[in-house]
Amino acid sequence: MKVPPTLSTVLGNLFKKPATNPFPVSEPVPVPEGFRGKLVYDVDKCVGCRLCVMVCPAGVIEYVPEVRKVTFWLGRCVFCQQCVDVCPVNALRMSDEFLLATTDKYDDNLRWLKEDEVEELKRKLEEQKKAKEAAKKAAEKKE
Amino acid sequence: MNVDEFVKVFGERFPEAEVRVSENKMPHPKRRVWVEVEREKFHDAMKFIRELDPKAQFSIIIGRDAGETLEAKYHMELFWEEGESISLIIGTSVPKEDPRLPTVTDVFPSALPYERENQEFLGFVFEGIPDPRRLFLPDDFPEGIYPLRLDETGIKPEMVKNAGHPYKIRKEGAK
Repeated sequence: MKVPPTLSTVLGNLFKKPATNPFPVSEPVPVPEGFRGKLVYDVDKCVGCRLCVMVCPAGVIEYVPEVRKVTFWLGRCVFCQQCVDVCPVNALRMSDEFLLATTDKYDDNLRWLKEDEVEELKRKLEEQKKAKEAAKKAAEKKE
Repeated sequence: MNVDEFVKVFGERFPEAEVRVSENKMPHPKRRVWVEVEREKFHDAMKFIRELDPKAQFSIIIGRDAGETLEAKYHMELFWEEGESISLIIGTSVPKEDPRLPTVTDVFPSALPYERENQEFLGFVFEGIPDPRRLFLPDDFPEGIYPLRLDETGIKPEMVKNAGHPYKIRKEGAK
């Protein structure tokens, strides 16, 4: 029988350590710098300019005109980072998080600015408006 | 043969054809020949090109809905064995009411898939095409709808599906 040409390599490798990462037991392979993981949204910084809605190729972002913010559903995100690059106030950034598996595609982990948060923001805005009007009236009375 | 020689030879054979040469800048400077031929002369022109260079590399047919007419641009590389090749884009246009065009599969056999594609997506009718079946569209796709047309024979709005955004779905109460 002919000796297979890979025999020496195979025998040599038999006595080496396995070069694998047993993931759930160990930590995952560390991410490099500039890794594009889960998108992080800072609601307070957002000015509602809608640039991210324009550049998103996947339809992740939906504009909420009542509060002038945007809402995200990362179930569709393709991690291209274009919204991060275009945001003029740096309200968006990419984190290192990449373990995003879930059983529900509308999972809370995959959403930014959910419905209840929008309602809360709306209430806050209305209160601010009322406070402003009250202050105005008070100033008029003083005069 | 270089670009200028080709323009001269082609212009002598087809004096009524529109020939223009474009030049793009760095990083890849290249001159391209753009030719516009009438439908009646189109097959002769393709034959002439094949005679000029029997080894011409046929690349693709690009069809376009240009309002009143349908345009087809045939891209090919000529004289690629002689160093720098000539990039030729030869085009023709047909009215929408009468979208007949002679097939070039007898001259360039590799044009067949592109002709089939243009036939189903834009409603061209290639006369004498050996295999007029559909290429990409599914068999249950309705007849008389050409997805790349911009007019009323294009895709109907009710054929467009969108899985929706959860914010909108919950706000509008669907599902």
